[in-house]
Amino acid sequence: MFEHIDGIGTFLAWSATAGLERSVARSKLREMRAAASCRTPKLACVIVVLLLSASAAHAQTTVAIKGGTVLTMAGPAIENGTVLIRDRKIAAVGTSVEIPAGAAIIDATGKYVMPGLVDAMTYYGIRPFATNDLSSPVTPQNRIIEAYYPFGEFMRGKGGIERDVELLEGGVTTIYIAPGSRQVIGGQGAVVKTNGRDYDSMIVREPAAIDMTIGDIAKTSPANPPRAGIAALIRKTLVEAQEFDRALLNFNRKSEEEKKTAQEPKRDPAKEAIVKLLHRQVPARIEAEALGDILAAIRIKDEFGIDVTIDGGVGAWKARDMLAQKKISVVLAPTSYPYLSNYGVSWIPELYNETNDYNAALLLKAGVIIAVGSFGSGNGFEGRGYQGRWLLLEAGLLTAYGLSEQDALKTVTINAAKILGVDGRVGSLEAGKDADVIVLDGPPTRIRTWVERVYMDGAPVYVREKDVPAERDLLR
Amino acid sequence: MKPARNLVFILALGLLASIAFTRSLPDSPLALIHAAVHTAVGPPLQNATIIVAEGKIKDVGVSVNVPAGAETLDLAGKVVIPGLIDIHSHIGTFGLTSDDANESPMPVGPENMALDALHLDLVDWAEAVTGGVTTVVTGPGSGERLGGQSITIKTFGADLNKRILRDRGEAKMAVNANNLSNIPLIRSTFYKAQEYMKAWDRYEAGDKKGPAPKRDLGMDALVKVLKREVRVRCHIHYASDMMTILRLKDEFGFDLTFEHSTEAYKIANEIAKRNVGCVVLPLGTRFGVSEDVLRGNAILDKAGVKIVMHTDHPVAQEKWLRLNAIISMRYGLPEDAALKAITINPAELARVNSRVGSIEPGKDADLVILNGPWFEPKSRVDLVFVDGVRAYDRSRQEEK
Repeated sequence: MFEHIDGIGTFLAWSATAGLERSVARSKLREMRAAASCRTPKLACVIVVLLLSASAAHAQTTVAIKGGTVLTMAGPAIENGTVLIRDRKIAAVGTSVEIPAGAAIIDATGKYVMPGLVDAMTYYGIRPFATNDLSSPVTPQNRIIEAYYPFGEFMRGKGGIERDVELLEGGVTTIYIAPGSRQVIGGQGAVVKTNGRDYDSMIVREPAAIDMTIGDIAKTSPANPPRAGIAALIRKTLVEAQEFDRALLNFNRKSEEEKKTAQEPKRDPAKEAIVKLLHRQVPARIEAEALGDILAAIRIKDEFGIDVTIDGGVGAWKARDMLAQKKISVVLAPTSYPYLSNYGVSWIPELYNETNDYNAALLLKAGVIIAVGSFGSGNGFEGRGYQGRWLLLEAGLLTAYGLSEQDALKTVTINAAKILGVDGRVGSLEAGKDADVIVLDGPPTRIRTWVERVYMDGAPVYVREKDVPAERDLLR
Repeated sequence: MKPARNLVFILALGLLASIAFTRSLPDSPLALIHAAVHTAVGPPLQNATIIVAEGKIKDVGVSVNVPAGAETLDLAGKVVIPGLIDIHSHIGTFGLTSDDANESPMPVGPENMALDALHLDLVDWAEAVTGGVTTVVTGPGSGERLGGQSITIKTFGADLNKRILRDRGEAKMAVNANNLSNIPLIRSTFYKAQEYMKAWDRYEAGDKKGPAPKRDLGMDALVKVLKREVRVRCHIHYASDMMTILRLKDEFGFDLTFEHSTEAYKIANEIAKRNVGCVVLPLGTRFGVSEDVLRGNAILDKAGVKIVMHTDHPVAQEKWLRLNAIISMRYGLPEDAALKAITINPAELARVNSRVGSIEPGKDADLVILNGPWFEPKSRVDLVFVDGVRAYDRSRQEEK
């Protein structure tokens, strides 16, 4: 029975990401559900419960969050501001927002209101062992969305999307999920929400990037060539995709008459994925840590005219002017690694010597757009986002190393959204954007500040219990 | 190597040279004035004065007179806390490329001394100082069931012998849940040590007549444990393993700390009853633990267990020790308990509290000056004194 459900989950994932074919996919899904209900009544019940619980939790409402300090991330802080949420979107933000009759009013006096956080680099919510196909160094056809599992624990749960409390507690509402970091070209990353009324609505952008790794971390996979060979392998893959693209173009240019005799290029999911990169529909996310690897990534960008974002970027501060000039963004790993993150570069001596706590500040000063990702993986059975709770703490640490409060918070909100190409929907509190809003009980970077409420697509998905001091735990 | 770190290193060398120079002159006392002082043994003092001379704290309080001829340092707006102590580190024993912390083929090696395998030229030491860490207990890894002896040492100072607070002691014990045979191995080793101790006691009591028992360096180390001259540091995660070790403690009567102590909060009362210190946290923050574990420190504190933070360097970098206490506060530990857990508590458990761990007259002048509340992530360490010497000055060394 569970295989069936799992099958539908995968089907949902596939259908949700098919874009144009979405409505077709939905009708197929209906057929599939109907077929399933004929075969197994139990399964139908599970699906009905799933759908009901999801829709009930996300009833459309108008909510006004009133009286707080609003950090919109799109301008200066607004004291005593109102954030009006309607139909899953932000309707208005400001000091003189008219609150319609019947709106639910949340008093945020003395609190801070800001957009849900965007974690620009994670492996959260991925089914175990689903990242890093180490049998092959290059698998651009692999899509991490196939392994996204926001359904709580395997063989547990009430059905529907389950809350990842650790992520919501940290205020994280949008994440980039990567197919791993040990392959040279691991596959296609995705931008997803951490909660939603249903799976389809959680997918923000897919594919969001072609995920690559060069340098030391890629060297940890026995399937990969040595350092220079890794860069050469990326070039080879891109050249082959260029040839594929040209062949396809040549074929399509032919008249109907010519097409009858010409050889049609065979479909190839791997090359098709890279063609999206060549056509700049998606960027390459290249994890490159050492300065030399970053420079190699820049050369690849220049040679193929692709968009590149650097991940990790331990030595990025050394190339900051070049990165700024070429408009290459950087998603930095946490300042506190290896404290709060499993991020492994601190064990590589050459990289350790390139670390600089002022990396973010120097890049920002040079004009590079930066985000800070958790690079977190979670270690639970379902790969839940245990480390999501630390993202604001990382922003707080950046304020100790040369960033203003506003700039530090941007690295986990609007700038992260910009790098992920989803800033039209998330990352700031502006009218028309998704109503992903968090309410905090104090300034966001203070250590004893807690996220009190999380709204996603206008629906309350997390409310922190009042006063959770140690006493609560002593009553056990 | 990055310029900042290079700079730290070069300046550190420069400082060593200048210390050598200034030390040859008669000491003029140093007065730190107008500071907010957390002594770690009493309530916070506002607008307080600390007098430092000859490497020691001479006086501290709100109505202390500045002696004539003293150099004064105005710390208005700053916060002073004791030099931080990391009771569980492998700094100097793990290089970035070398591991001298584990003697892997030896399941039992209490005779091994960390001092004999200490790298003193690593940049890690200077980095530790930038985070306000002035004393560390560093030593063996968890590769052996009964490991070697750690060293308690300052992170800064020109003279190695003066840096060392305790050159040996603290037998490391590592217990992992996966092998029941570990426990009989530890028990029978203690039986042997008891016999060895008796044989020597008989020999000493008999005015050393007859042939002396055969010396065994490992047994010598364990006799110190049995005589409670040193404590056992037990690397441990599972609550059930902790109960096992508590039973061993009941049987052999040694002094004990649990190290890592992931599930200690589940048996807080059992631990408190036996007066066992718990070294807590960093693995727990990096790996996926529930909020319950993070709140464990507050539970242990409330139950009366003496808790101590650690970095387990290089698992976490030494300079982030303060972050442990900060995170514990987020999860319910009171501010004063959090500060104690990185100052006086580790000093007491490592038995160096007569020298370090608090700001009290007579103690070493190991002081950390911050530019804001010590528990906010935003606050930075501005100045560090070790034995009254300026070991770190951010204004001089930081890249702009």
